[in-house]
Amino acid sequence: MIAEKGRLNRIRTRLLFTGPTLFAFTTVMILPFVFGIYLTFTNWDGISTELTFVAFENYVSVFQDTEFWKSFYLTLKFVGATVVGINVVAFGLAYLLTSGLKGQSVFRAGFFVPNLIGGIVLGFIWQFIFSNVLVYLGKTYDIGLFRASWLSTPDKALWALIIVTVWQYAGYMMVIYVAGLMNVPKDILEAASIDGASGWTRLRRMVLPMIVPSFIVCIFLSLQRGFLVYDVNFALTKGGPFKSTEMVAMHVYEKAFRSHDYGVGQAEAFILFLLVTAVTLVQVYFSKKMEVEA
Amino acid sequence: MKSRKRLSAWILSLALVTTVTACSSSAPEGDSAAAGGTSKEVKITLLNSKGEIQQQLEEAAKAFKTDHPDIAMEIIPVPAGQSPFEKASALYASGNPATITMLDPSDVIKFKDRIADLSGEKWKADAVDKSLDGSTLDGKVMAFPLAIEGFGLIYNKAVLDKAAGGSFDPSSVKTRQDLEKLMGQVKASGTAPLVISPMDWSLGAHYLSLAYSAQSPDTAKVAAWIEELKAGKGDLANNKVFGGLMDTFDLMMKNNIDEASALSGTYERGPELLGKGEVGLWFMGNWAWPQIQSFDTAGGQYGFLPVPLSDNPEDFGNSQIAAAVSKRLVLDKEKSTPEQLAAAKTFLNWMVYEEKGQDFLVNKASLIPAFGNIKLEPQDPLAKSIKDYIARGKTQEAMGTLPADHWAKNGAAMQKYLSKTGDRAELIKDIESYWKSVK
Repeated sequence: MIAEKGRLNRIRTRLLFTGPTLFAFTTVMILPFVFGIYLTFTNWDGISTELTFVAFENYVSVFQDTEFWKSFYLTLKFVGATVVGINVVAFGLAYLLTSGLKGQSVFRAGFFVPNLIGGIVLGFIWQFIFSNVLVYLGKTYDIGLFRASWLSTPDKALWALIIVTVWQYAGYMMVIYVAGLMNVPKDILEAASIDGASGWTRLRRMVLPMIVPSFIVCIFLSLQRGFLVYDVNFALTKGGPFKSTEMVAMHVYEKAFRSHDYGVGQAEAFILFLLVTAVTLVQVYFSKKMEVEA
Repeated sequence: MKSRKRLSAWILSLALVTTVTACSSSAPEGDSAAAGGTSKEVKITLLNSKGEIQQQLEEAAKAFKTDHPDIAMEIIPVPAGQSPFEKASALYASGNPATITMLDPSDVIKFKDRIADLSGEKWKADAVDKSLDGSTLDGKVMAFPLAIEGFGLIYNKAVLDKAAGGSFDPSSVKTRQDLEKLMGQVKASGTAPLVISPMDWSLGAHYLSLAYSAQSPDTAKVAAWIEELKAGKGDLANNKVFGGLMDTFDLMMKNNIDEASALSGTYERGPELLGKGEVGLWFMGNWAWPQIQSFDTAGGQYGFLPVPLSDNPEDFGNSQIAAAVSKRLVLDKEKSTPEQLAAAKTFLNWMVYEEKGQDFLVNKASLIPAFGNIKLEPQDPLAKSIKDYIARGKTQEAMGTLPADHWAKNGAAMQKYLSKTGDRAELIKDIESYWKSVK
């Protein structure tokens, strides 16, 4: 601990270390955020040199925009499926790859790689798979499920999005779970084993409670990324067919930049921010209660 | 109208700045000792929202530089899938707009505070009829008409010759019945009659817009009718033109090679099927020629048929394809220096009046220029076909003033109809509610 005399000296020292980051954070995050809130009270179209103050008109428009709420509901379904899918797959892989398999390090790296691929490239790769590869296989071997492109019907397009998203993020979350699993003390597991606990009991009663922090982090991250999904949505389905897979982030973007309704789009973005914040904070709060210590 | 070419890579690399060629200015006669004062090079940029001519534009920038060594031009592509408005407004927001921006006609007015008045340009007098209408604001010409484009049913003549048992005559299709008969003949000859590309921009910006442009040859009446739609008095259910257009769409759906899974098709599928002769007709525009050409098995024999709306040959629209200026170039006045503005104007004049500029427009980029003084004949068959319709006065003015989100929203409604997810009543409801929500 650096002990400095005088309050002024302590403040100066702290600013010396945190100042640059604070400056960057303020200019890149805080100021645009505040400016964005300001824009929600205007009728700017994104390019005009004139803008008029319209008070809460844009917020009224948001609540009247049935497309926005439809997209939000769709996004809720998407988030529900992807959060469960990502975390189940990630935990399963992590558990498997910390059980002493040969070559598990290689497998860990292999499963992590999809996360390194950008969302746009990933979307196009999988678009090719769903539109061409699977259709070819479906027609060649007469597999009914794949005879037509999944991207051409709303339900299958949504599931295609879910599958790609789970595939993309499971590896990343797996790494977090691996870290959690490796921190479970070996001695308590051995003690349980000596006392006759089965593998399933050890998993449910000891391993899962011990890695609650990993669950908190992974669920938080997958929730946040699920709500704000845009790049895979854009590249894989473009919100199609007929906007049936247009997630809320894409809707906000289209409202601001395609419909030239920047004020309403920004207002929708702000409301989305509040909703996502509420959801994530609630889940963190309840999850924290489940934490235990060895 | 909008063309949304989807490229295999989402983001193209920014074009490299044209290599600066060392070029000394010629010394004035008898005064070589005084030579050496090199003029400063002017750098300008062009934001290109026509992805399919990116390479040609880059080559044009080089050719332009050989003619005007003191001007260096960089071509910035708009990423595929983005509208020019999105990219241009982002550039303005960052304080770094392109000197020349290629906009869709309906977006020009939104930039009116930031772009230069071009009313004094020489090419204004040479612009063809109606080509400046969409971008003349308060009597001032605010944009340069880059190209005329058209769309309709592109036909593969080899396929249709075989179906017709001789030489196919495009003027023989004047009614929906004629089209139905033709498609029946194609089917009987063992080929699929038609492919419908299910992209929202094709269905929403092109096909559906025929319901507006075919209301009347008088563009003022079309505009008045649009105002009625906005006021909620359009009554599409009883509109003869709209009903006829959708009846023809039903006919197309029935003959669509992708009928079983209508929304599966990708853009790339259309030119492949048409070029290989696996379908006889494809609803698309002349921008598709480079792709069709790469699959061509018909010896370059292609052309356009209008989309018939009724069974009365005299009805407007049955013999007219849609054509209009599709892209406009605007010059930035907010951030550009007077030298940059002058250089940009020089480029516009270069395209209209210089040999290399015209060669770029017509022969390299396969564009149909909107200027009467350009006498070069287009090489590609689709452009030839459009020019033929223009020369015969058989065009309807394609909608250049639809709102920017019209194609996305109404394209989705058309997709629903195409996939039989929604019926015609639902389609009408979607379109009418869209227009009522337009500000």
